[in-house]
Amino acid sequence: MHIPDGILPVSAALSGYVAAGGVTWLSLNRIKKIFKNPREFIPRASLLTAAFFVASMIHIPVPPTSVHLILSGLMGVILGWFAFPAILVGLFLQAVMFQHGGLTTIGVNACLMGIPALLAGALFRSRRYFGADRKIINGLLAFLSSFLAIVTGAFTAALLLIYTIPAQLNVSAERAAIIILAGAHLPVALIEGVFTVMVVLFLLKVKPALLEGDRL
Amino acid sequence: MNNLMHKNILLNCISMICVLSMLLLPLSAIAHGVDITAVPINAVEIYALFDSGQPMAGGQVTIYAPDEPLDPWLTGICDEEGRFIFVPDYSRPGMWEIKVRLAGHGDLIRLEVTAAEESVVSEAGRLSFLQKIIMALVVVWGAVGTALYFSRRDG
Repeated sequence: MHIPDGILPVSAALSGYVAAGGVTWLSLNRIKKIFKNPREFIPRASLLTAAFFVASMIHIPVPPTSVHLILSGLMGVILGWFAFPAILVGLFLQAVMFQHGGLTTIGVNACLMGIPALLAGALFRSRRYFGADRKIINGLLAFLSSFLAIVTGAFTAALLLIYTIPAQLNVSAERAAIIILAGAHLPVALIEGVFTVMVVLFLLKVKPALLEGDRL
Repeated sequence: MNNLMHKNILLNCISMICVLSMLLLPLSAIAHGVDITAVPINAVEIYALFDSGQPMAGGQVTIYAPDEPLDPWLTGICDEEGRFIFVPDYSRPGMWEIKVRLAGHGDLIRLEVTAAEESVVSEAGRLSFLQKIIMALVVVWGAVGTALYFSRRDG
């Protein structure tokens, strides 16, 4: 899902920067309004940024390709509005240190992973309408949030890539390869969905306050 | 009677030899028309791998000559090992660009071609697994430090 430099046209990269800038401003604005002391959430955001950074190194072979963990859903569930800036920092570190993704596409990548993370957070926080202390509701919403965050991100990335394939390439072959890669994210979505359920149920048992910290 | 039979056999043999000779003549003529020459040339071999180490099998290669950076000079497909071999046009020295792309992933490298059939690839070196682990640990340590800093109690 990390689109590298040189793949997208300049207009798409610039649009990504504008959109990411807008969502970052919105996130910071909401954080400022919601939290009395946003500094309290920085340790949590910092540790999850590290987890997001390392997750991209864990590759899962899905023949004929291989994919890696993303953790955008978990970020949204745990961090709420903090998820977008945390993903932005994680993507910057991945691009600079491992050339994973790219600096010109950091805006696009932040939108592809960060916006589904925010939506995942909103979906998980709808638990207050169904019973925030019920184990089954927490588990179900945690799975759906994380699963849909990956599927939405992969689907949007595939659409963007398909509509920007350069004419000099074999378009049908490249389109088929993109569809295969997007489909390979389905096992990742399932794995991350189960992982998020485990994390949420664990936190619900030992420290439920960590799941109630923000009101997305 | 016996003499006549020998004559017939002899005639048959001669006619068969004549027919065979007529059949073989054009073949030998074609064989003489082939001229195979083998000259060693300085080819360039590309290996394209994902950062997981998996070969970019089926990756689309696009090569641009230095004097024509917009129109591809050559396009091709990587084999199962992510390999592609081509011979640059040594009459067009300069910085050649080679792009490999597969499923929205790809990279570009530059190849310096000189008229003396010597080429130099300018490419960022790949990180070893150990280097990656150390770099990841550095980032994790930085994140833990940030977390500890912001979780300290004032005063």
